[in-house]
Formats: sequence, C-alpha cells, structure tokens
Amino acid sequence: MIQILSLLVSVSLLSFIEYILPPILYIIVFPGLIVVLLMLFFMIWLERKVAAKTQLRFGPLYVSKRFGGVIQTVADLIRFSFQEFIIPAGADVFAYIQAPGLLMAFGLLPLIFIPVGPYYANIFPANYSLLIVIPLIIITPIYVILLGWASDNKFSFVGSIREAFLVISYEIPLILSILSMILLYGSVNAINGVSFQIGRGIPGIVLNPIAAFLFLVVMIRTTGRFPFEISEAESEVVMGPYTEYSALFFGIGMSLPYIELYSFSLLFSVLFLGGWWPIVPSAAAASGVVGGLLLPGLVVFIKALIVMAFLVFLRAVYPRYRIDQAITVGWDQALYLGFAAVALSIALVWSGLV
Amino acid sequence: MAYEEGFSIEKNSVEGAKMSASQDRATTANLTYDELAGLKAERELVLLIGPAHPGSGHMKIKVWMDGDIIQRVDPDIGFVHRTTEKLSENRLYIKAIPIVERVMLPDTINANLAYVIALERLLGIEPTPRAQYLRTLTSEINRITSHLYGIGLYGIFLGSSTVYMWAFADREPLIDLLEEISGARITYSYIIPGGVRWDLPAGFKERAETVLQYMEARLKDYEKIWVKNPVVMDRTEGVGIVSKSDAIRLGITGPNLRASGVDYDTRRAKPYAAYPNLDFNVPTFSEGDCYARLLQRVEEIEQSIRIIRQVLKDIPDGRIISDDIYSKMNPLQKRMYEMKHRVMFPAYMASMRPAAGRSTASVEAGRGEIFFYLVSNGDKVPFRFRWVTPSFLNLPFFTHVMVGQHLADLPAIYGSSDYFPPEADR
Amino acid sequence: MTGRKNNRIRGHVDALATGFKYLAEPNRMTLNYPDESMNLKDNYRGFFAVKDKTCIGCSLCEIVCPPKAISMLDLTDAGGKKKKRPMIDWGLCIFCYFCVDICPTDAFQTSQVHDKAFYSETEYQTVHGEPMQYPYDYSKRPDYKEIYESFHDVAPDDPSAGSKKVVPKFDKKRGIKYEHPGQP
Ligand code: SF4
Ligand code: SF4
Repeated sequence: MIQILSLLVSVSLLSFIEYILPPILYIIVFPGLIVVLLMLFFMIWLERKVAAKTQLRFGPLYVSKRFGGVIQTVADLIRFSFQEFIIPAGADVFAYIQAPGLLMAFGLLPLIFIPVGPYYANIFPANYSLLIVIPLIIITPIYVILLGWASDNKFSFVGSIREAFLVISYEIPLILSILSMILLYGSVNAINGVSFQIGRGIPGIVLNPIAAFLFLVVMIRTTGRFPFEISEAESEVVMGPYTEYSALFFGIGMSLPYIELYSFSLLFSVLFLGGWWPIVPSAAAASGVVGGLLLPGLVVFIKALIVMAFLVFLRAVYPRYRIDQAITVGWDQALYLGFAAVALSIALVWSGLV
Repeated sequence: MAYEEGFSIEKNSVEGAKMSASQDRATTANLTYDELAGLKAERELVLLIGPAHPGSGHMKIKVWMDGDIIQRVDPDIGFVHRTTEKLSENRLYIKAIPIVERVMLPDTINANLAYVIALERLLGIEPTPRAQYLRTLTSEINRITSHLYGIGLYGIFLGSSTVYMWAFADREPLIDLLEEISGARITYSYIIPGGVRWDLPAGFKERAETVLQYMEARLKDYEKIWVKNPVVMDRTEGVGIVSKSDAIRLGITGPNLRASGVDYDTRRAKPYAAYPNLDFNVPTFSEGDCYARLLQRVEEIEQSIRIIRQVLKDIPDGRIISDDIYSKMNPLQKRMYEMKHRVMFPAYMASMRPAAGRSTASVEAGRGEIFFYLVSNGDKVPFRFRWVTPSFLNLPFFTHVMVGQHLADLPAIYGSSDYFPPEADR
Repeated sequence: MTGRKNNRIRGHVDALATGFKYLAEPNRMTLNYPDESMNLKDNYRGFFAVKDKTCIGCSLCEIVCPPKAISMLDLTDAGGKKKKRPMIDWGLCIFCYFCVDICPTDAFQTSQVHDKAFYSETEYQTVHGEPMQYPYDYSKRPDYKEIYESFHDVAPDDPSAGSKKVVPKFDKKRGIKYEHPGQP
C-alpha cells in the first residue's frame, strides 16, 4: 500500500515537473506575465527615453538617477494604484468595469500560442499555433470598442469608432501577410516555420520582404504607434476610448498597446527573423526546458526587443495620419501589398526556389 | 462677414439634411420639417472641444459633425480676456508697455513696438537711426521665435512631439540673444518712446552670427523630419484651403494671408523702423492650404535671418535715444548713458502728456498686423486705447475653412493658422 | 525649401535618418535645473535693493511702477529726520526695471538673482519672515522701520545657491552649450 502510494507520489511529482511545471513557467514567467511586466516597465521607459534623446531632452531621470530613471514606470504604476477610480454618471457600469479586464486578458492570450522554442511542442499543441494566434490578435480591439462605448463620452465614442474602422481595414492585410508565410513554410505550425528558416539559412524577411513590411505596418497600426496613433489622438479626441478612465484601469489601457506590441514582435521574430536562430538546439537539448525553451526564447526575446525599440522610436519621427487616410492605406495599398505577398510566396513555392 | 458666413452655412446644412433625408423617400416623404430636423439631429454629433481639451487652447470650439465631416464650427473666444484696453486707459502711457507685451508672449517686441510707434506719433518724437535698426533687429529675432512657437505647436497638434520640442528648444539661443540685449527672457519692455533702452553688448555681432548659422543648419533638419515628412504632407496638402479672394474678404492677416497668395506685408506697405532701408523678400504662396501656411513660416524665418544679417552689417553708430528724451535727462543720467549705453528714464517718462489728438500705428508681428489707435485729450493717461491683434483678425478662418473637413483636420487647420487665444482675447 | 514635389520613399528615409542622427548624437538643450543653474548675464534683471544713502525719496519709482509693486514708506532716521523710502512687493513686481531706470540718483542696487522660492502665499509679502500688510499700506505698521531695514540690507536668498553654475555659450553646431566655468 505504502509502496503504491509512494509510487503514486513520485509519479505525480515527476509528472508535475514534466507536465505541469513547464506550462506554468511558460504562462507565469517567460514569455508570460512576469516578463511581460518587466518588458512593460522597460519599454515605456525606453520609449520616453528614446523620444527625449531625439528631442534634445533628457526624459525620465529623477527616479533612480544612477540608472537614467529606469524605474520611472514603477513610480507611475504606484501613482496609478493610488488614484481614485471614477465611474462617470452615464456610463454602462458593468461594461465599463469589465472591459479593461477582458482587454487585458485578450491582450495576453496570444502569448500562449506563440512558440519561442522547440520545447513548446511538448507543452502546448503547436500544430495550429498560427491559426489560433490570428483570431486572438484580431479579437482584442473589440474590447477597446466596448470600452469607448461604455464610457458615455463623445470623445471616447469617436475614438472607439475610429478603432473599429481601423481594425476592420487592417485585418485582411494581417491575415494575408501571415497567410503568405504559411504558404511559404507549408505549415501552420510556427515551429515548423522556424525550422524552415533555419534549414534554408534564410530568414523570412528576406524570403518575402513584402509580407514582412506589411506585417510591420499592421503591427504599427494595431499597437497604435505613430504614425497610426489615431484612435487616441490627443489633440483630436483627448485619449480616445480611454478618456474617462482613471487609476489602474487607465494604466491597463495605457499598457495594452505595449502588450500587443510584445506579442506582435515575438510573432514577427518567429515568422520573419528566423526565430531562435543562431541557436539551433540539438534534439537532445530541445527536449529540456533550458535548451529547448529558455535559451531559444532569449534569442527570440532579444530580436523582439529590437523590433519594439524601432517601433517606439517612430514616435520621434512621425506625426499621425488622418483616419480616412489610414483607412485608405489599409483597403488600398496594404491590401494590394497583401495580395502581392501571397503571390510572391506562391511564386517562390511554385518555382521551387525555396 | 463672419456672422453672415456662419448663418449661411447653418442654412445650408439644414437643407443638406433635408436633401439627404429625402433621398430615402420611402421613409421620409411624409415627414414634416420638424421631423426632418430631428432626423438631422440624430445624425449629428455636437462636440465641445475646449476650453479644457488638449487640442483647443484657451477657447471653446463647438463643432457640429455629420459622421466625420464637420458641418459647422462655432469658436467661442474670450476665456482669457484681460481687459488690456481699459487697464491701459487708466494708467500712465509708459505703463501700457508691459501690459501689451503680456497678451502676446511669444511676440512681445512687436507688441511693444506697435504701441510705442503709436505713442511716438502722439508725442511727435522721432527715434534715432540706430534705435530704428535695433528695433528692427529685436523685432526680427522675436519674429523667428514667434514662428518657431507656431511651428512647434503645429507639431504637437499633428502629433509630432519632436518638432514641438525642437522648436521650443531652438527658441532658446534666440531668446538668449535678446536676453543679452535686454536682460529679460520674454517680457523685454525694450522699446520706449524715443528709442530703445539698451545698446548692443560687446561682441554681439559674432554671437548673433553663430546663432544664425545654427538656425540655418537646423532648418535643414526641420525640413527633413517635418516639412518634407510624407505624413505631414499628407495631412496638410489640400486641407483648409483659403482662396485669395476669401482671404481678403475675411480680413485674414499676416503669414496666413500671404500663404493665400496676397502680397501684403505691413513692413512693406506701411514701412516703419529700419525696414525701408533693408532688402528682403516677402514670400507668398498661391495654394492657401495648411501646407502653404507651414512653408510660409519657414520661409519667413529664412527672410528674418537675412534681415538680421543686414541689420548687423549696416547698423549706424549714434545714440539709441532721441535728443528729445536725452535732453530731459539729468546730468547723472547722461553720464550713466555715456558710460554704460543704457538709457535712464528722465522724469518726463512718468509724466508724459501728449497733446490732444489721435494716432495710429501698424506693425507686422509674427502672426500678422497689429493695429493701434490712441486718442489723447492732453491727460496723463490715454483717453482711448484701442488695439487689434492679428489672431483676432484670423478668427473668421475657423468658421470659414473647417466646414466640410474631417474632424482630424480641425487641429491641422487650427495649428496651421497659428491662432493664439490670449492674443485674440486681449 | 519651397516646392511640393517630393519623393515619398526619400521623405520617409530622410525623416527616419534625421531621427536616428539625433538619437545617436543627442544634442541636449535641457538644463538639469536643481542640480545645475545658469550663470545669468551681467545685465540680467533680477531682484534689487534700494541704497538708503543714495535715495532722495522723490517717489518717481513709485509713480512709474506698472503693477504698483512699490509703495513709499514714511520713515524717521536716527537723527529724527523724516524721509520716504520705497518698499517693493515681490509678489507684484514684474522686473521691468522701470523704477531702476527712472531713479534720478541711481539708488538701485541690482542683482542677477532671479530664482526665489516661496513656500506660502503670504511669504512674498514678507521680508525675512515678517508679514507685511497687503497691498500697499506698509507705513501704517508700527514696526515698518525694522522691516524696511532688514529688507534693504540683505539680498534675497537664492534657492539654486547650492547648484553647479553653468555658463551658456553659443555654438554653431549645438546652438547652446552649457559650460562649467571651473573646467577649461
Ligand atoms: S521692476 Fe518694474 S514692477 Fe518691479 S518694482 Fe520696479 S517698476 Fe515696479
Ligand atoms: S526714484 Fe530713486 S531716489 Fe526716487 S524714491 Fe525711488 S529710489 Fe529713491
């Protein structure tokens, strides 16, 4: 009896380490919540610092002066958590309160389905990862629209309508861009896509630059970076959908674009920048958490960081487009580019060049 | 004119709603006019932009929108009215100098100059040639800072914080130049009846030349990151067009007028200070859109740099204060003047009583023509003190241009007009 | 700079390159104020005081002061002689220096001190802790004499006193460079 029990315990412990721990690690630590939080702090600081450098200023400095004010964002978070949360009189209270939470949840969800290392296949079913990521990325803005609708504020309303228009007009280019890569890699499994790039020795951005460019544009648009910072345009609609929000809920609204930015950048580095290349884990290494998940994940993360840094730098260069111009770009040039990307992929596969 | 304009637009938009409703004849054929108006009201969104809105400045802009298209705009000004006219009518003549400066802070020298010219005409004093050149010099430096202010704010209206920060940072060397002359950074109170208060410090020419060269180099970077930035061009080209005849009809002034192709500049039309002796161009653009107004300001900065160079080259020697005032100084003050080239006020400054009469003055400030009208009845204070500031004249712009544009064009047009609410409200 | 024809791709590349240029070689214009502060120029219009010996009590400064920041106190000096002296309300003064310039005896001692922090609204109506009546009637106070004396002997405090002083220098490439006078 005791033997059986101890066997059971050891088996469950083993299975805990083997089956339960990695998913928890994946969700809670990397690339999940904790890294997301650190990334948020760093990215918001970096954005302000980069913009400040270009603009002949110093940027955040006085909170932790030795390190260039890097924990400024933490100070901001503390400030947000002590602010009063105001619910406007005319707001739809239920929607008003639940929307930011759902927004956060759906903003974080895509992270689970982006493989950052070959070990991912042992944790989650990876076979359809790209097919799952697309709808999850696309569904998030719906809660932005809900948020604006619930606030009972004209500026929020205008802002959320803008968001809705933009989401619709950039959905198809995004799908086309990912589709062209799926065609190229011959698989909806992102891990296969990375092995494809590593095997050929050519990153996806070289194989199909049109798709990469298009993905970048959609990424800028979806995460509200300049020049597509339209639904929150300060001089036009105050803060867009987030106008009425205060305290931590406003913080959620503010940080959501960065979380989206993070998942988009991870996806971008997996799809277009060769994933975890130059680290090519051997079959043995890939079956361990460190060799198969953390080390490759670090490479993907660094690549994503570079992409994010570039995108936040755009703030220092561009003003914003007008809403109708952005929509036109989405339905016109971006759509054609999407078709061109798909055609290029088909041509490449057809001709057997890759 | 502006009221008529607004009225006719309102009429049009009511009829427009009727039209668009009647297209849907099956449902609207039997509706009364009131019901139609209700239908219109349902389509319509009224936005109150300001006075506490990041993109409004100290004014309220009431905007009626149909979808994303602006149907009617009603700017509501007066939030920063400071009764400068009545204040000045109850004070000694000299005390109005700081008052007029305070309503147009980016452009204080020009306000000061306009008032002092009107006052000098009342008093019958002529400033000395050197003072004239110094007035032109400071006025042009101030014009650059004013245009930079406008360009910077246009940047933040369109969302480019870089240009905003750049322009405000680049005002710094120019403000420092003026600080070297006058000892203050913004409110210089530099120009007084009969001349100016301080002479150029030693080595000023070289330092000014350094700053001008810096400005010229920077303008090239502005061109790359802002003026020729494709996003900026998309946002501004063909937006908010004011035709030449409209610009004249609405009474628009300054760079906005010239950007619509009207070659009118007070410095040319009614020369004052040292402008008759200087060689400069008055740039104009025929398009009259936001981009033209943006380019207009950049070009005027270039012209101002040219004028400053000429002034520094040609500036004559001599007193900086007219003999009328100089002769009224006491011996100590005269000695101070000879030693430090700094004008001390004779007691006359506190007791000026111009002979009964009236005078006017116009000066081309950064945003357009400032007009002054002074009436004296021989007292120590003005009997009537009236001034019209360029931003106030540029106000009809809003109601006229914004109709039919997108909501997002509102900041684009507002910013391009360089409207400065405190200046308009006075 | 005129001309609207522009190559879009060139425009994007130029804009991005200019941004990168400034990112790589930041040309900062900001002064880290509480740590560094500017050495103001000799002619900077800062706080000032009236030299008791030189002033003749002619009230011209009071008459010309635009915001009416100056009021004349009736004082009695040690020898029992009556005299009038100006008292300045720093909450009103706009540093136009009209008073300095109109003084027939040049009785004003000017300074380049510009920064002064007040912790409360009443403080700027005081001189070294002594509250004064607002706005003009200082002379009605019994202790006006001490107030007056404490005023014109001591220069106003400068909160930036402990900071590193820098001198702004014009520069062709950077516009303004802040130099530390100690350094070569
Ligand atoms: S500087 Fe001007 S405001 Fe201040 S006390 Fe003198 S005259 Fe009055
Ligand atoms: S003007 Fe000069 S002399 Fe006359 S009261 Fe004022 S400080 Fe004294």
